[in-house]
Amino acid sequence: MSLEFTQHTLPTVPVEAESLSMASLAGLSAVAAAKLTIVHGNRAAEVGDFFHVAGAPDGEVHISGDLSRVKQVGAGMGAGRLVVHGRAGMHLGTRMTGGEIVVEGDAGDWVGSDMLGGRIIVRGNAGHLVGSAVRGERMGMQGGEILVFGSAGNEVGGGMRRGLVAIGGDTGDFTGVNMFAGTVAVLGRMGARPGAGMKRGTILAMHPAEMLPTFSYACTYRPVFVRLYLAHLRALGFPIADAHMAGPYRRWCGDAIELNRGEVLVLDTNSGTPP
Amino acid sequence: MSDNIRTVTDATCTFCGCVCDDIVLTVDLDTHSITKSQNACVLGKAWFKEHSIEERPRALIEGREASTEEAVEAAAHILADARFPVVYGLSDTTCEAQRVAVSIADMIGGTIDTTTSVCHGPTGMAFQAGGESTASLGEIRNRADLVIFWGGNPAEAHPRLFARYAVTPKGMYVPNGRKDRTVVLVDVRRTPSTPVADIFLQVKPGSDFEVLWALRALVKGRKVDPSVEQRTGVTLAVLEDLAARMKACRFGVMFFGMGLTMTRGRHFNAGALLALATDLNEFTHFVAAPVRGHGNVTGADNVVSWQTGYPFGVNLSLGYPRFNPGEFTTVDLLVRGEADAALIIASDPASNFPKAAIEHLRRIPVISLDPKSTLTGALSRVAFTTSTYGINVAGTAYRMDNVPLPLRPAFDSPYPSDQEILTAIRARVSELLGGNRLPVGPVGPSPARSAS
Amino acid sequence: MGSLLRIVNGRVYDPANGIDGEVRDVCVRDGRIVADVPPEARRIDVHGMVVMPGGIDVHCHIAGTKVNLARKVQPEDHRHDVHPRTRITRSGTGGSVPSTFATGYRYAALGYTTAMEAAVTPLGARSTLEELNDTPVLDKGFFVLVGNNVLLFRLLQEGRFEEFRHALAWWLSVTRAYAPKLVNPGADEAWKGHRNANITDLDAKIDPFNLTPRQVIAAFIDAANTLGLPHPVHIHCNNLGHSGNYETTLETMRIAEGRRAHITHIQFHSYGSVAGKSRDNPTSKASEIAEFVNTHPNITADVGAVMFGRSTSMTADAPLAYMLRQFGGHKWINADTEMESGCGIVPFTYQDRVYTNALQWAIGLELFLRSEDPWRMVFSTDHPNGGTFMTYPALIRLLMDREYRKQQMAHVNQLALDHSGLRDCMDREYSLYEIAIITRAGPARLLGLADKGHLGVGADADITIYEENADKEAMFSAPRYLIKDGELVIEDHEFRAEHEGRILHVAPGYDSAIEQVIEPFFEDYYSIRFANYPVHESYLHHHQLVPTVPGTPGAAAT
Repeated sequence: MSLEFTQHTLPTVPVEAESLSMASLAGLSAVAAAKLTIVHGNRAAEVGDFFHVAGAPDGEVHISGDLSRVKQVGAGMGAGRLVVHGRAGMHLGTRMTGGEIVVEGDAGDWVGSDMLGGRIIVRGNAGHLVGSAVRGERMGMQGGEILVFGSAGNEVGGGMRRGLVAIGGDTGDFTGVNMFAGTVAVLGRMGARPGAGMKRGTILAMHPAEMLPTFSYACTYRPVFVRLYLAHLRALGFPIADAHMAGPYRRWCGDAIELNRGEVLVLDTNSGTPP
Repeated sequence: MSDNIRTVTDATCTFCGCVCDDIVLTVDLDTHSITKSQNACVLGKAWFKEHSIEERPRALIEGREASTEEAVEAAAHILADARFPVVYGLSDTTCEAQRVAVSIADMIGGTIDTTTSVCHGPTGMAFQAGGESTASLGEIRNRADLVIFWGGNPAEAHPRLFARYAVTPKGMYVPNGRKDRTVVLVDVRRTPSTPVADIFLQVKPGSDFEVLWALRALVKGRKVDPSVEQRTGVTLAVLEDLAARMKACRFGVMFFGMGLTMTRGRHFNAGALLALATDLNEFTHFVAAPVRGHGNVTGADNVVSWQTGYPFGVNLSLGYPRFNPGEFTTVDLLVRGEADAALIIASDPASNFPKAAIEHLRRIPVISLDPKSTLTGALSRVAFTTSTYGINVAGTAYRMDNVPLPLRPAFDSPYPSDQEILTAIRARVSELLGGNRLPVGPVGPSPARSAS
Repeated sequence: MGSLLRIVNGRVYDPANGIDGEVRDVCVRDGRIVADVPPEARRIDVHGMVVMPGGIDVHCHIAGTKVNLARKVQPEDHRHDVHPRTRITRSGTGGSVPSTFATGYRYAALGYTTAMEAAVTPLGARSTLEELNDTPVLDKGFFVLVGNNVLLFRLLQEGRFEEFRHALAWWLSVTRAYAPKLVNPGADEAWKGHRNANITDLDAKIDPFNLTPRQVIAAFIDAANTLGLPHPVHIHCNNLGHSGNYETTLETMRIAEGRRAHITHIQFHSYGSVAGKSRDNPTSKASEIAEFVNTHPNITADVGAVMFGRSTSMTADAPLAYMLRQFGGHKWINADTEMESGCGIVPFTYQDRVYTNALQWAIGLELFLRSEDPWRMVFSTDHPNGGTFMTYPALIRLLMDREYRKQQMAHVNQLALDHSGLRDCMDREYSLYEIAIITRAGPARLLGLADKGHLGVGADADITIYEENADKEAMFSAPRYLIKDGELVIEDHEFRAEHEGRILHVAPGYDSAIEQVIEPFFEDYYSIRFANYPVHESYLHHHQLVPTVPGTPGAAAT
């Protein structure tokens, strides 16, 4: 039996719901959970003002409703499983270190900001800045996995330090911008300027992309680690085709403005032909 | 013209970010109008000419005339009741008024934002990512021998930028003025500014980032793929020549505007330019200078920064400042329908915001302060007529290069200043709330994550 | 301000009046210390507590265009250190460059009542005053940057010394400054005009001027002394941070030749070099520097100690900032001000494992421990350059608590300790009396603030009351009471009232004919009008004009 939250009232203004997280809900009864403080605009409110709460705490939390105005769901969670049956708001899973968050619908901007570990799954679309650095900060996510089955916006994996981001659909501009390390895999089409400023790290793209003039073509090959990553994604439910597994991949090195140790691997549909 | 004439020397024009302070105003005190504005450019002249005193109601509540006191009362209730109010605008008012506006946002637990968020906000974000090398306009006038204008049309938007600061004037180390300078202009099309340039780079729309990126690589001696020519419309040879000139100059400057900040790439475009200027300091002295729009938008940045730590889009709902462009910037709050009240000061978002944002403004109670009749005023629940900074009201304004200047008003206005109205509103809100709203929710974010 | 207070049973430390822990009453009326108050006065019983004058920070960076740039560039530094509002106090953010309200409240919450903003360009003075007016509680002033002023250089190179002095007085007066500041004197031109060069030799020509830094420094010291300013020229010496720079520092102090001069953040100027290597592995010359200061009563200094952790380097020494950029990371700001100054900002972290940082930390402590006259070697970290003011309690503990110092020494880079002289001065522990000197009485005296830094009759009623605690860091972290101008601003560790402090400034007299020299220069070279340059009185709000006492005949009357 899990703890079940069913939305009965839509917030009129944004709600900050750090307490809708395993960390705060651990061991709480439904009654106690309903009394947790959340912030509605500039006023304190209770979870119960927006959700009916039922069930018992057993390590799983299920939230149903339109949470597109509810921010920071899953903040700081370290263990357990949280499922949003509906849309989620901004800053989903911010600062999480472990456990799993699943959103059946779309998620807002800043999915997994400041993330250290754990897994976030968004079945719908995500917004901008998935796993990306907050303004002024140099680094984005430092660990964990963010898996978006739909599309995502700009700056996916910006300043990423470690971890895996996989986007089933398209991404916006500046995918993997200023990456330090880690992997961003995009099954759909990337927008403009992927990998700008990247220092290390890997961007894995299944469609041709326009590379910045500071990237240079290196070779076409079939790296083993790509098969391992794709097999992992396939097991998680991403539509990985055999052609994706087979490759080969054209390897672009960059960003020459930085260390030139980053790579963008683009699925080569004319197998084996050099540029 | 009457005999009741007053001359104001060293007056400050606040129409654009040049904030020229050498204007000589001839003021007809009988008709409350400025009949002459010597030294002003065409935009400044229009600015001074337009601001005569109109016969208007001091305040309107839901379209009908009201006294200032009634309007203050109505405004105070709106702000005290609101759960997610936004205080916006502020670029065309004094720093003194801006300070009161921020204090109101703090008191009511709202969001404070300025027109920076639709203008050079991306530059602010780029600045936060890497810093910038910059200089005051006088430094540029006295030293710059290579002057680059990128993504702007100063001839039409900042006419005296060329004449007073950057292209024609003689300087201490530029004794022959224009002859001692090489002027480069980079834009997607020819404009009235183009004839000023010795070198004009016409780049394909949406390719400024690639051009700047290629220049950065060339300056650092890195490889640039020839595909850049196709992408940008600029040959590698031209880029190599420009990079060489930039490294060889004695003091270089890049002015830049909306052509970079408001086109695809935004803060990355601005960031690339700032980074290029920074990189060049390995070789020579090089600075970047954002060309700001409204007269005191720089002042708004400064006031909000010193009072909160962040320059624009600052949310105070929880009891302390938080910053996140896109989350707390006004257009986004309105488009997402999140704001439930708005206090708009010396700005007219209803005339230039996206349609969805304007539609939301119609749905929520709006309080506006403006000397003129505006579209925003027309949709406001409470509208105040205020006097104009720099023309009726004294105070401080900041030039685009962060130099603070005093305003010298030309004539009095019967209408109160923004500062007076905001102070009255704040006093009443304070009574209604019993002081500042107390903080809510967890105080501060969780402890900082460990450095990697 | 009509408050009547009698503070009883506290142990009073008032070194200016020779009071060393005596239990005695302190009486307050109308914002000042008085000998006695009537029985209806409010009684505050501070048994078990220590009573000191309010703290005075002689050198910090808290307000102005440079500080605000440093604030703006680091949102990530603010978000982890929020400062929530209360019913009566404003919200803000902290980190190494706090917002203005937070700055005032936090200084007050450490027991400080006066602070001097250390470096302001004349062109930006208005901005500094605006920010200071939004910095609550504290009395404050600022030092105006004049050491790279082009017109002043021109007057000097032409030998027009009297006009130079009048111009200096003019600049101090119209900007509403407290004292003249020199930063890396003479090097601005090299930075801006010679492709980011620097000057490293006091006798090098300041191209294109027919001047050397030595001549510039001498002229300013001379003029300031003649003008009788309450605080003399405040000098950030050339070659800050460079190995072997202690010689430049000694030379600079020698230039003073018996006249008053203040050497600021002297720790950064106390480096020797390993024989044969001029750039690598600097060593400590704290001993030589301390010795010179000890034996030359005309010299005052503040230490500018380094404390480990996150800080921000912000300075008018633009070449220095550019050098630090290599070590600091990925953000750098440069901002030139025409005809006057440079500016550089680099966020920075001092780490105990890093050789140079550990050496700097050790040198700062050495300077304190070797000082024989705490009245003239006063407390500072050059906030936030060496560390933020929030580290002050920890630094006080390092000075007072030998065991704690030893424990901290065990954590730092040991090679650096070997190259410092810190192990040789381990015995000394500062007493409360001496702490009161270096944080209160000494700063007041060297700043020329006769009514501050002491609790004698007539003094401003700026009083800090700390609860005694063996852990000196805890003790100095949170005063139980803070009284400012006789008003109880903090009571039982909580803010009770909003309070606006005063701007402290000087207005030395000058011959108004000097404006006929300055104005044409303005027309030719500045980008603003001469009429718009002086700062109008309306920017001062509450303020106090501190008198200048012209010392020599021939000085212009006020």
